[in-house]
Order: sequence, then C-alpha cells, then structure tokens
Amino acid sequence: MSASPLVPFPARLEASEPLSERERLFRLALPAPMSHRPGQFVMVSFPGVGEAPISIACAPRDDARLELTIRRVGSVTQALHALEPGRDLGLRGPYGNGIDTALLAGQDLVLVAGGLGLAPMRSLIQALLARREAFGRLILLAGFRTPAEALFRTEYPDWTAAGMEVHALVNRTEHQPWEGQEGLVTEPIPHLGLDPGRTLAVLVGPPVMYKFVVLELAACGLSSEHIFVDLERRMKCGIGKCGHCQIEDLYCCRQGPVFRLSDLETRREALA
Amino acid sequence: MDAFLASKRQFLDWLRHTAADTETFFPQPLGEASFQFARVRPDSPLRLEDWDSGTPREAFRASANPVPPGKLLSPPGETLFRFRRDPDGRLEFFPVLDDAPRIIAGIRPCDLHAIHLLDGIQSAGVPDPHYLSRRGHTTLIAHDCLQPCDEHCFCDAVGALRQRQGADLFLTPMEDGLLVEVLSEKGAALVEGAGFSPCGDREARLAWAEGQRARPFGRPLPASPEAIAGILAGSGASPVWREHSERCFSCGTCNLVCPTCYCFDVSDDIDLAAPAEGRRCRTWDGCMLPDFAQVAGGHDFRPGTAARQHHRVARKFQYLPRQMATGSHCVGCGRCGHQCTVDIDIYDIVKDLVERAGP
Ligand SMILES: Cc1cc2nc3c(=O)[nH]c(=O)nc-3n(C[C@H](O)[C@H](O)[C@H](O)COP(=O)(O)OP(=O)(O)OC[C@H]3O[C@@H](n4cnc5c(N)ncnc54)[C@H](O)[C@@H]3O)c2cc1C
Ligand code: SF4
Ligand code: SF4
Ligand code: FES
Repeated sequence: MSASPLVPFPARLEASEPLSERERLFRLALPAPMSHRPGQFVMVSFPGVGEAPISIACAPRDDARLELTIRRVGSVTQALHALEPGRDLGLRGPYGNGIDTALLAGQDLVLVAGGLGLAPMRSLIQALLARREAFGRLILLAGFRTPAEALFRTEYPDWTAAGMEVHALVNRTEHQPWEGQEGLVTEPIPHLGLDPGRTLAVLVGPPVMYKFVVLELAACGLSSEHIFVDLERRMKCGIGKCGHCQIEDLYCCRQGPVFRLSDLETRREALA
Repeated sequence: MDAFLASKRQFLDWLRHTAADTETFFPQPLGEASFQFARVRPDSPLRLEDWDSGTPREAFRASANPVPPGKLLSPPGETLFRFRRDPDGRLEFFPVLDDAPRIIAGIRPCDLHAIHLLDGIQSAGVPDPHYLSRRGHTTLIAHDCLQPCDEHCFCDAVGALRQRQGADLFLTPMEDGLLVEVLSEKGAALVEGAGFSPCGDREARLAWAEGQRARPFGRPLPASPEAIAGILAGSGASPVWREHSERCFSCGTCNLVCPTCYCFDVSDDIDLAAPAEGRRCRTWDGCMLPDFAQVAGGHDFRPGTAARQHHRVARKFQYLPRQMATGSHCVGCGRCGHQCTVDIDIYDIVKDLVERAGP
C-alpha cells in the first residue's frame, strides 16, 4: 500500500468492450484482490489527464479482477475509453459505505435502476444471486431511454434463470428490436404485488428518477426507512477531505453513496 | 516547561539567525497596507509592524495578512505524487511527502486555533499524510494578542482567543520585551542556546498581560457558538441567506483567505520534456465558486449564491463542529468580511440569524 491514500496503484486493463454508444465495460486485473461491498466505488486515474469516481460493477470476487462501466462524458472518461488493453490505469479504493447484504437477508427486494445506475446495481445483483436462497423475491426494474442505451442486455436471461424477476423498460423503442417493455420505470410498480411488511427497495439512477419512484413505492406502503438510494456528487478525494461531495453535514463519499431515504428527508440538499 | 525573557531585538536577531538553517516564515510587509507570511532572509527587514515602537498593548498588531499562516501547511499546487508510464503501458506511482523542517513565527491565536482544528480534521477518518508530514516537521511560534487586530476581529466570541495548544513556543508582549513560553519538546530544542534569560515570574507576568487585555475583545456575538449551531440547524427557510448573498458574485475570496477552509481540487501536469512522466497536484478550491458542486452533464447540486452562502456558514458553525466535536470552525479572524469586495461579513450573517431567531 502506498504512503498516501491519494496515490493510486496500477491496475491492468485486460479488456474493454462497448456496451452502448457511450458506455464501455472495463475488465481490470488488480495486483491483489479487492474486497468491496456492492455500491462502493473506486477512483480511476488516467495519469496526465485526471481522476474520476466510478462505481464497481461486479460482485466482490477473490480472483483480483474488477469490472467497471464507464460512460464517456469528458476528459478523463474519454481518455479511459481510448486506453488499449494490456496497458495500466490507476486505481484507488474501494470507497463509500456500499450496501451490507446481510441487512437485506430474508427480505423481498425491489431494485430500481435508471440508465447507468444499472452498473452499480449489477454489483448488487451478482452478490444477491450468488446467495439466492438468502433472500425473498428479487425484482429488478431497469429503465433506459432507448434499446440502444440498454446496458447488460445479454445478461437479463441469466438473471431471470437465476431467480430474479427482470423488468427491462425503454421510454421509446425507436423501431429497434426490444425484448422488454415500453414505458417508464415506475409503471410496473403498482402491479408487482409488493408486501410492504417484508420489502426493501434500492434505487440507483439520475436524481429525477427518485422522486417518481419513491412516490410509487410509498403508494405501495413502503416507508422511507425501507428505501435505499445511491447518490452522485462531485468527488475529488473519496476520503472525506476535499469537501466537494458534501450533502449538508454528510459526506457522500464516506457516509454514502448509499443512504437510507429516511436519513435524507430532513436534508434539503439531498434530493435537490 | 521553561519560560524565558527576550528583548524584541534579541528575539528578532535570533529568528534571523535561526532562519539561516531552517526555512522560517514571518509576516512581512506586502505593499502599503498588507502583510504576508514570507520567508525570512538574512537581509529581511523584520520590521514587525509596531513591535519595536508600540506599547505592549499594541505589540502584535500583525493584522492585514490576507493569507493565513496555516496555508503554508497546504501550499497551493503541492505535488501529491509523480507518475511514470513505460512504453508497454506499465504505470508507476511515487508518493511525494514534504518532510523539510520549517518554522512559522508570528502566528496569532485565531490562526493557531485554525491550525489546531485542521490538525484534527487531517488526522481524523482517513488521515492526510501530505498535510501531516509537513505539519509534523513544522515548528509554530505563536503569540498572544492583547488587543484585537482591527475592527473585523471577533475571535473571542467564537472561543479562539485563548488558543495555545499546537504552538511550540508562545510569546506574550511585556513592557520589557517578550515572555517566551516553551510549550513542547520541539520548542525546547529550538530555543536551546538562544541566550534568552530564564524567567522566574511567569505567572505574575501572564497576570499582568491579562490585565492589559482589551475588554471587550473584538466584536461580541449575541449567542454562544453552540447556540448558533442550533439556530443554523433550523435556518433552511430563513430569508437571511438570500438577503446576505444577493450581491455575492461567487469570487471565492472568502474561502481563499479563510484559515479553516481546506477544500481542494486536483489536476495533473505532464512533463513536457518527458510526456510519459508527470505529477498530480492539489490546488485550493472553494465552496463559493459556482462549479464546486457541479457534476458531469452540468447538474449543480448546490445552485445559487444563497445556498452556497448557507453551506459556507453552516460548515463553519454547525457541520464541522458537530462532526469533530469541537467549538466553532470559524475562528473569528475577520478576514472574509475584510476582503470581500461587496462587504459580505460572516459575522453580520450570524448575528442577523441569531437576532431574528429571537430569544
Ligand atoms: C460515486 C460515484 C459513482 C460513479 N459511478 C460511475 C460509473 O460507474 N460510471 C460512469 O461512467 N460514471 C460514474 N460516475 C460519474 C463520473 O464520475 C463522472 O462522469 C466523471 O467524473 C466525469 O469525468 P470526466 O473528466 O470524464 O468528465 P468532464 O466532463 O471532463 O468533467 C468535467 C469536470 O467536472 C468534474 N466532474 C464531473 N462530474 C464529476 C463527479 N461526479 N465527480 C467528480 N468530478 C466530476 C470533472 O472532474 C471535471 O473537472 C460516478 C460518480 C460518482 C460520484
Ligand atoms: S468574497 Fe464576498 S463576493 Fe466573493 S464569494 Fe465570498 S461572499 Fe461572495
Ligand atoms: S469564516 Fe471568515 S472570520 Fe471565520 S475564520 Fe474564516 S475567514 Fe476568519
Ligand atoms: S469526495 Fe472528497 S470529501 Fe467526499
């Protein structure tokens, strides 16, 4: 380990595959296995360009491999997209609280992912399916704008086969082939027959999605203690020092990025 | 621990002498009305504003230092690490920790208090070794203030005036020179051989100085820092935020000059002569700057000057005190109000909040 938590270690890009026009899946080989929780993230460096917080997109594993899904939006992510397999990038972490899957045991789980939110959700999905018997119903609602933007589409049949109810939705099919439903990610919620006494929900997506999903879940009787949300903020350190990720008194990089909704209700900056 | 007496001349000569071996910083004039903590050189005119001519009550009027001394512990642009990429794409990272010995002298109680609070923050949770290494190799010479620096000061109202912890040597102005108290091993090692006279009546001298201290000291606040934290917690809907930020133009000066602001950004530099090598640097950042909470795609999680002003004030008086179990993280130095071009003063904001919250 380095003398400083702000200094990355090298990780080798084994492969990078396109998932959509803007997103690629990065398969990395690490110098040593990383133990992480679903919902945690790493800081990824392209030295010379900069660093960006990126969610871990796979379940914890002991073979020193890590998967990330990176959307090309700016300087760092662009440089990463251009990185050739066999070369190194910089990594540090894991950071953030993540989700303790032990807390979810025995419960029915509704996982709601919007767009790129399916990347961190995939880490949780893999972890839950690896111990399928420990949980009640597993329901995934994954929403995208168009079929071309749908992530991990080839994996839905495997998830279904492993015992998950998968609802994949797009806002518009745009005449592209689509094996899922058309509509908003909120639409199936009233028809799921949720039992509020034994159901927890986990939401990962853009801020606009939360309001509507929470309203639908509340209509099914879920209280805010039973809803977890994964928040994004600007992050420059991941260790509670740079100040960028603050949500009032909370540090998204330390106390988050996964919060119980009931802990956010009194904080005006949380879901703004 | 020991105490000594030194004449002002003796102290300054000693400081200049010490600076020949160890990088030493002391407030020095910058233009007409301003000072800066600058490196002491053999020929530095250590005029020490008022020190030589003033009465003891005025001895340390070293105000108008827009950049607080604690910023020397996180210099802008500091290198966090160097990197090298070989032709096969293998990366190597080399952490950079600054372990050069330094002395900072001329630190006022408010600024000492600020450094003490930063020590706590940088040691807590995931410690920051870059700060801590530099801090550990730095000797602090602080001094008491017997009168407020200027009309902006409110250090006593936020509990910063009595700060001593963190200093290695602590000076108190006397009629016949300076009382030099040794507060740490580092301080003891530094004054060894300085030739100052042992002081046998430290308590009497401290009592005398206390008698000389201005009363009230600086601007008073109508509530304690703890009460202010409570009022802030319920101030989300207060019109105060809008009223005190309408004229703010988000320049970030208030963050820049604050001794307890430590937020940062990072940026990479490539070595132009060897493009496979470079470094990552850390620069100061400020929560009043418009893009501080913006993410890719342009969404701003704290839009508008009122929300940002609320965050700045709450961080000083509510968030950090509760997180760190300390008093106020505003040390009442008055710099932000002094330097703001449109006269937005955190003191006025807090006072206004308290007064409108009622009894
Ligand atoms: C906890 C967390 C998890 C994330 N997970 C993923 C993921 O799995 N996949 C993915 O593609 N993206 C993820 N993001 C978003 C990603 O970090 C940003 O898109 C990325 O930082 C943009 O960097 P850039 O240099 O390419 O973009 P630019 O457009 O060049 O960035 C513009 C400026 O904004 C800053 N910036 C923008 N957004 C952020 C941010 N969120 N944090 C820090 N700085 C920012 C950049 O540093 C830069 O200064 C996540 C963000 C967070 C906070
Ligand atoms: S110094 Fe004044 S104008 Fe500048 S950001 Fe601070 S409050 Fe606003
Ligand atoms: S908030 Fe203003 S008065 Fe308080 S410590 Fe910072 S600069 Fe000084
Ligand atoms: S990312 Fe720096 S404090 Fe959270």
